[in-house]
Amino acid sequence: MVDEVVNIIGSYILKILKYSDVTPKNLYLNRRKFVEGLGLTSLAFVATPTTAKLSYSTSAKPNTIDEITNYNNFYEFGTSKTDPAKYAHSLTTDPWEITFEGVSQNKKKFDLPEILKGKAIQERIYRLRCVEGWSMVIPWIGFPLRDLINELEIDSDAKFVAFETVYRPTEMRGQKRATLDWPYREGLTIEEALHPLTFIATGLYGKELPNQNGAPFRLVVPWKYGFKSIKSITKISFIKEQPYTTWSSKSPREYGFYSNVNPNVDHPRWSQATERVIGEGLFGERRKTELFNGYIEEVGDLYKGMDLKKYY
Amino acid sequence: MTLSSLFRSLPISLLYCIFLIPIPLYFYWGTVNQLGPDPMRFLEHKYGELGLIFLLTTLSISPLFKYAKINLMRYRRCIGLVAFYYIVSHICVYFFLDIGLSIDILLSDLQKRYYIIAGFFAFITLIPLALTSNNFALRKLDIKTWNRIHSLIYIAIVLSIFHFILMSKTWTGELYLYTGITIFILILKIKSTKLYKKLSTYSNADISK
Repeated sequence: MVDEVVNIIGSYILKILKYSDVTPKNLYLNRRKFVEGLGLTSLAFVATPTTAKLSYSTSAKPNTIDEITNYNNFYEFGTSKTDPAKYAHSLTTDPWEITFEGVSQNKKKFDLPEILKGKAIQERIYRLRCVEGWSMVIPWIGFPLRDLINELEIDSDAKFVAFETVYRPTEMRGQKRATLDWPYREGLTIEEALHPLTFIATGLYGKELPNQNGAPFRLVVPWKYGFKSIKSITKISFIKEQPYTTWSSKSPREYGFYSNVNPNVDHPRWSQATERVIGEGLFGERRKTELFNGYIEEVGDLYKGMDLKKYY
Repeated sequence: MTLSSLFRSLPISLLYCIFLIPIPLYFYWGTVNQLGPDPMRFLEHKYGELGLIFLLTTLSISPLFKYAKINLMRYRRCIGLVAFYYIVSHICVYFFLDIGLSIDILLSDLQKRYYIIAGFFAFITLIPLALTSNNFALRKLDIKTWNRIHSLIYIAIVLSIFHFILMSKTWTGELYLYTGITIFILILKIKSTKLYKKLSTYSNADISK
C-alpha cells in the first residue's frame, strides 16, 4: 500500500519534472522551486484524486512516439506522410511570436514564453481521427485554450476564433508550391474554443513538441477531424463572422467548417463509418468511428438541435 | 527446345522475376512491420502505383519504337502482364486487408465511391488483355480482333488515372507526373489513328482550297 502511494507520488513528480522539457528555460527554474514544494501538494492530490483531469483523457493505449512522429499530414513540408519527419527540422520555432486580433488590450504580440507563463501544463491523451479514415491516440502536453482566452480582453461581440499557421516558404518547403492556399487557416466557434476539451499542445509524450507535429504551439480539438487542429500557430483572431478556413474553402462540399467526426456523414468520395487504427499492423482490423470521435458526452450539448448533415 | 530459343526466352523469364520480386518482398516487409506506421495503406498504394508505372511503361513501348527508334517490343507482353499482376495484388490488398473481406463495404463502395468504380472498371477492361497476352491467343485470334482487344488499354489507363485523381486530396507531384505522361501518350495515339489522319487531310484540303 505504502509502495503504491510512493509510486503514484513518484510518477506524478516525474511527470511535472518532464515539463521542464516543454517549458522555456526561464520558466524552468521557477518550476523547480514549485516541485520542491510539492511534497504536501502531491499528498493532497492522492487523498482527493482530481477526476476532472483524468476524465478528459482516453484510456486507450497511446501510439508509439515513432508512429506519432513519422506519420503526419503537414502539407507545409510536403504532401507525403513521411515528408514532415524529413523536412520539418528546418522550421525555426524559437523565438516564436503569436499575434492576437480582436482583443482590446494594448499589447497584441506575445513571445511564446510570455504566453506559457503561469499556465498549468497538463497531459491529455486524446484520440485523433483523420478525415482520411485513420486514427491514433496521442498523449499531448499543454493547456486548455480557454486558459489563454480567459487572460485576454477579447471583443465582446466575437463569435468565432480564427487561427493561422506561420507562412515561411524558406523554412517550409511545401509552401513553395500552391498545394493549398497558404497560409493554412482554421477556425472554431467561440463556444468550441472555450470548451475544456479544446487544447493547446506544446509537447507530447512529456517532451517538447517535435516540429512535424506542429511545434511550438498547436491546437488540438479531439472531436473534430485532424485538419481542424491547426499546427505552428502565429496568429489568433477573435471575430464576428465565420472565418476563412483552408480545406473547407478548397473543397466546400468535402470539408465543412465544423468537420465534427461523424460516422453517419460520409466524405463525398469515401466512407467515414470506420477507421484504420495506426499501429495495428498489416492485418489490423478497422474500428467503428464514433460520433464526435467518442467525445459525445463532453461536446454533444454544443450541437444540440443542429442538423449535422447540413452543418458537417 | 533449341539452345538459341532458350537464350531468347531466358532474359524474359528473368525479367519477370526481377519485376515481380517487389510483390512478395513488400508483403514480407509489411508482415514484419517495416513499412511504417500504416503498412496496409503503404502496401495498397505501392502495388497500385507500381501497377500504374508498368501500365504506362507498356504504353510507351510502341511510341518509343515509332518516334525514338528504341525497340523494346520484345518486352511489351512481359511488362503488360507484370502491370496486371501488380493491379491484382493491389485489389487483393484492398479486398483482404483494407475492407477485411466485407462484401457489404465492397458493394457500397462500388455504388457510391467514384474512385472505386473507376478502378474497378479499369481492372475489368484489363482482364481480356491479360487473357490474350499469350501465343495461344495470338494464334487463335485474327490480328484485327487481337489489336482491338488490346487497344482497351487506353480505356484502362484513363480510368486508372481517374481512380488516382479521385482518391487524392490534392494535386501532388506524382499525380501531375502520371497524368502528364498519360496525356502525352494519348495525344501520340490519337495522332496516329486513321480518323485523325483523315480529318487532318480534310482540313488541309480545306485550307488549300
